[in-house]
Amino acid sequence: MTIWEKMQKVDRRILYAILVVCVCVGLFFPTTIPTDPDPSSKSFYAEVMKLEKGSTVIIQTDWTNSTRGESMGHFENLMRLMMHGDHKFVFYSAADPAAPQVARTVLARIVAERKGQGLREYKVGEDYIDLGFFPNAEATNTTMGSNLRSVWANRKSKTPTGGEVDVWQTPVLKDVKNIGDVDMMIVVTASASIDVAIQRLAQKVPITAMVTGVTGPGVLPFYQSGQVKGLAIGLKGVYDVEYMMVNGINDVEVEGKKVVEWDKVGKVDRVNEGTTFSRGRAYYGTLHVALVLLILAVVMGNVAMFASRRRKGDAV
Amino acid sequence: MDYDAIKITAGVVATIGLYSILYKENKFYRFFEHVFLGLAAGYTIVAQWKDTLYPQWWLKMFGQVADVDAATGAVTSPAVPGNWIYAAMLPIGLLAYLVFNRKHNWMSKIPIGVILGLWSGQQIQIWWNTWGPQIYSSMQPIIPTTFSTLSVPSTVEVVNGRVMPIQDPVALANVQQQLANNLYLTQALTNFIFVLTFASAFSYFIFSFELKGKFLTGINKFGRWMLMIGFGAIFGSTVMARFALVIDRMSYIVNEWVQALTQR
Repeated sequence: MTIWEKMQKVDRRILYAILVVCVCVGLFFPTTIPTDPDPSSKSFYAEVMKLEKGSTVIIQTDWTNSTRGESMGHFENLMRLMMHGDHKFVFYSAADPAAPQVARTVLARIVAERKGQGLREYKVGEDYIDLGFFPNAEATNTTMGSNLRSVWANRKSKTPTGGEVDVWQTPVLKDVKNIGDVDMMIVVTASASIDVAIQRLAQKVPITAMVTGVTGPGVLPFYQSGQVKGLAIGLKGVYDVEYMMVNGINDVEVEGKKVVEWDKVGKVDRVNEGTTFSRGRAYYGTLHVALVLLILAVVMGNVAMFASRRRKGDAV
Repeated sequence: MDYDAIKITAGVVATIGLYSILYKENKFYRFFEHVFLGLAAGYTIVAQWKDTLYPQWWLKMFGQVADVDAATGAVTSPAVPGNWIYAAMLPIGLLAYLVFNRKHNWMSKIPIGVILGLWSGQQIQIWWNTWGPQIYSSMQPIIPTTFSTLSVPSTVEVVNGRVMPIQDPVALANVQQQLANNLYLTQALTNFIFVLTFASAFSYFIFSFELKGKFLTGINKFGRWMLMIGFGAIFGSTVMARFALVIDRMSYIVNEWVQALTQR
């Protein structure tokens, strides 16, 4: 067997092992890679940052640990942006019963992180509400559009003192009568639940989204048509948002040049408190390592195939 | 080892167990696969009752008395009257299970019919809400109306080294009016690429008659190329998503687990 034939028959387990080693090594060296965020990510950041302080936001969180690599970074960024803007928010899932618990875990971690940094501690029942799970996204979103009070009726929220209160009596929702009273709806999803939300609610409330790389291409047409006001896609979207949290848009300058430029908006502030670069930065460099490995494997496999074919041709 | 460290360690063992299928089929993998399925099913049952059936059916059927904060006397949860009609939901829902009974399985079609009716009724509006804005936004002009500048005039300006919206309201209104009334060459070019891609990809799905002639077959072929490029981009995005999952699992092991163990 020639070297070319051996290269084409490398045991897949060896490739897996190389991938695991490279990824693990990459994780020890988080790198800030200069980037030009995607226009959809810029729109997302600009839309969220232009919300007035203390706005009310609905967050539909439809991801679980199966897409933790992308969606957790999205959700962490979103929580930091919400808390930076002092926004009040409700979160629920209309896709997966496990999703609210996953969101609760991340939220608790971000609250603790900010508390440790000396920033204001977000409190359940006062600053945010955990609505839990709603089965059937179609029915849930349809009813939210026609009668928000009925779809969330009988839901209780915990209070900072450990008691329970009807969600409609909390400071978060007491002034909300219908979906039009909400300033923005943000869908963090790994599935087509974003389509369902757009179909039923896009004409009643501005929608932005944070989606996985698999879901992203299907949602981009909704961004192009303006049905979704902003869209962060996949790990690149996580990194884009973190990058803009650090540099803003048309804000931070290096050597007389804006780090992130965009002629569609004026200056959008950076986030000047708490954690900004986080999971996106930790994973984005490692993603490059994995992609280089993939490209190398494809190139080497093809070179080996052509070389062995040529040798066979010579032999004939 | 405290509770958090035990929890993360269990996660690491489960991760390794599930990835062990990459080496070869084994009982370690099967064990964790069943644990995962069992946990998901059990969790779903509890969540269905706690988050759905209890607040949206049980409480509406039986109602509830008002909750009052003993310290302040404030009503934290208003009284809700019960409504017996919600009891009818149970037998209607249970009818679906008659699908397993040979004699009475026709009755299972009643709840299915209700669901189908609700679903169908929504679809006209849903169709338009999905595609209407996209059809509208696809109708883009491709002939430039001005050649005064090649690119689009900016609505922002540099003030003291900062990019800001144009400060002079008259100048800003002037630029906005120019933008509203004109189509610039670069805009037209962008629109043309979009419309060409849209029309050619669309033409690929014309099966009602045979496309003849160089022009029509050429457009059709171009549409196929555009579709392939699109699928390639989607596949690339999917590959990156899958890598992100591997990276996160490795991060869970080398960062979170090691951190949890070493911080004790």
